[in-house]
Amino acid sequence: YPLFQLGGPQLRIFRPNFFMLAVRPGVPQPEDTVQFRVSMEMTKVDIKNYLEKIYNVPVAAVRTRIQYGANNKRNHKNQRVKKPDYKVAYVQLGQGQTFQFPNLFPEKEQDAETRSFDDFKDKYMEREKQRQKGDPRRGGVPDWFGL
Amino acid sequence: MAASKGQRLLWHGRCWFSQAESAVSPQPPDSLYPPIVASFTAKSKAAKRRRLEHFRQRVHAAASVEEKLRLYGLLQRPKYMVYPQTFALNADRWYRSFTKTVFVPGLPRRAAPAATKAPGTVVPEAAKGPEGATGVAPGAAKTPEPGTAAPGAAKASEPAAGAVPYLDLGELRSLACDALLQESFYQTKKRPFLYRDQDHTPGPFLTQLVSTLAASLCGRNPLLAASSIDLKPEVNYYWHHGEEVVVHGHRKGRVDPVRFQIDDKPHLQIRVPKQLPAVVPLDSDLGDVPVIDHKPSKLPLFKKQYENKVFIGSKVADPCCYGHTQFHLIPDKLKRQRYIRANLEDQIEVLYQANGIASLFAWTAAQAMYQGFWNEADVTRPFVSQAVVTDGKYFAFFCYQLNTLALTVETIQNNPRKNICWGTDSKPLYDVVEDGNVKGFNDEVLIQLVHFLLNRPKEL
Repeated sequence: YPLFQLGGPQLRIFRPNFFMLAVRPGVPQPEDTVQFRVSMEMTKVDIKNYLEKIYNVPVAAVRTRIQYGANNKRNHKNQRVKKPDYKVAYVQLGQGQTFQFPNLFPEKEQDAETRSFDDFKDKYMEREKQRQKGDPRRGGVPDWFGL
Repeated sequence: MAASKGQRLLWHGRCWFSQAESAVSPQPPDSLYPPIVASFTAKSKAAKRRRLEHFRQRVHAAASVEEKLRLYGLLQRPKYMVYPQTFALNADRWYRSFTKTVFVPGLPRRAAPAATKAPGTVVPEAAKGPEGATGVAPGAAKTPEPGTAAPGAAKASEPAAGAVPYLDLGELRSLACDALLQESFYQTKKRPFLYRDQDHTPGPFLTQLVSTLAASLCGRNPLLAASSIDLKPEVNYYWHHGEEVVVHGHRKGRVDPVRFQIDDKPHLQIRVPKQLPAVVPLDSDLGDVPVIDHKPSKLPLFKKQYENKVFIGSKVADPCCYGHTQFHLIPDKLKRQRYIRANLEDQIEVLYQANGIASLFAWTAAQAMYQGFWNEADVTRPFVSQAVVTDGKYFAFFCYQLNTLALTVETIQNNPRKNICWGTDSKPLYDVVEDGNVKGFNDEVLIQLVHFLLNRPKEL
C-alpha cells in the first residue's frame, strides 16, 4: 500500500480483489469469534472495513496471524513441496452477536428401504465371513496344515 | 507337658522373654525398615502427589513470610500475564472467572451502627440527610472533635451535602478545584507529546488531589495520619487456577495448573497499618461467578516466563502492610474517545471494571500472602481494599473483599467462598474547565471520594 502521510489522501479501495473464507476453528473459540482465512496482503483494518462495508457485519476487534505452510514433503524427484502460507483472522463480532460454525454435513435420515438394504448387506457379509472361517475346533489353524 | 516346657524355658534363664512379651504384646515392634511410600522422582501420579505434598509441607513449615513467598514462587514456568488495564473485549467476565469474583453493581450500603460510617452509593444524600442530623458514625466516633472542629468547619448549608455534619464540603470542593485549575489552567505547559496526555494533566491533578484531600482529612481519620502514600508503586501477584494439558514442548501431554501473574502499577496507593473492616461475613454468597470453558489465550492473553513476584508496594517488614485505597489512571491508548470512535461504548465500563477487579484482587491477595496465608492455608478473615479508577474526568469507585485464596484445582473443589467486588459506573467529576472556572462540578463524586478516604476500622 502507498504510505499514508498526514494530510494526504486516504486510500480507498472500491472493488477489492480480496476474498475471505470463513472456516471451522480447529480449537474451540469463544462464541463471538469467527475464524477466517484471508489473503496475505490484508490488514486488520482491511478486514474490519471489508466485513462492515460489504456484509454489514459489526466488528469489534480483529486479530491476525500468518500460518506457515510446511516445506517437508517431497515429490517423486525428491524436491521439497511447499504447502502455501495463509493468513488467519479471528474476528470478534460487536453488539453482542454470536456465531457458531454450522454443521455442513449433517447425518441424513435413512428411509426404510435403505435401512433394510443396509441390514441385508450386513447380514450377508457376516454370513460370508462365517463361511470363510474354518472348523472352530481347529482353533484358527488353516485346513491345509496337517500331515 | 506344656507346663514343664514353659518352666524349663524360664529355668534356662530366659527371663527376658517374659518381660519382653508383656511389653511387646500390646503392639508390634516398630519396623526396622524405612516406611513404604511412593517414589520421589518417578514419572507417576503417586510420585507427583508425593512431590506436591513435600512442597506443601515445606511451605507450611517455612520459618518466615519471606521464606514462604520465596518457596511459593520458586518454580518458574510459562504463565499468563494478566493486565488490569486491557483493551480486550469483555475482559471483566474473564477476570472474574480467573479470580472467582462476584461483581455487585453499586457500593456496599453498610448498616449504620454507632461505630461505622455509611458510605452508601452516589445518590444517598437525600436519604442520609435525616441520618446525618442524628449524627451517624462520624458524630459518635469523633466525639472529642465536634466542639473544636465546628468553628473551623462551617457546616455545609445544603442538606444534600450534610451527609457528614462536621465535614466542610465547600473547603474540599475548593481544594479539588484548585488542584484542577492549577494543573490545567494556571500552569502553562508545553503541548503533550504523542500518547502522553494522561501524564501531562490528569496524572499530576490526581496526585495533588489525593495528597491534599488526605492531608486535610487526617484530623478526622487517624488511620490516614498513620498511613503511607506510594507514588507509582508496583503491585504483583502470582496464582494458579484451573488445569490444562501442555500442548507442545518436552513436557507435552502433562497436566499442569494454569498460572497467572498480575503486574500492576497504580498511579497512587495508600497503605495503612490496620485493616479495613469486613463488609459482609466471610461466607456470604452475593451472586455467581462466570464459568468460561475456553482457554485464557482466547481472550487474548499471552504467556511468558519470568519471576513469580508477590508484592503489595512495600516489603514484608513494613508496618503499613494492609491496603486502603488505590488510584488508577487510564492510559492514553484506552481513552474514552477512542472507544467511542470505534463504536465500542459498552466496553468503556468493562475496562473500568476489569481494572478494578484485577488490581484489587492482586493487592488484597498479596496482602493476605504477606500475613502468611496462601492457597493451602486459606484466609481466616476477609481482606478489604478500595480503588478509584479514573481517566482524569470520569471516576469509578470499587471496593473488594477477598474471602478466599484457594483457587487451585484441589482446593477450589470444596470451597464455597467467593471474592466480592462492588463497583460503580464511571461518573464525571466536572464538565469543562474554562477561563479559570470549573463548570459543572459534581459533588457526589467528591463525597464518594471523601467517604473512601475516611473509611476506617471500627475501633478507631
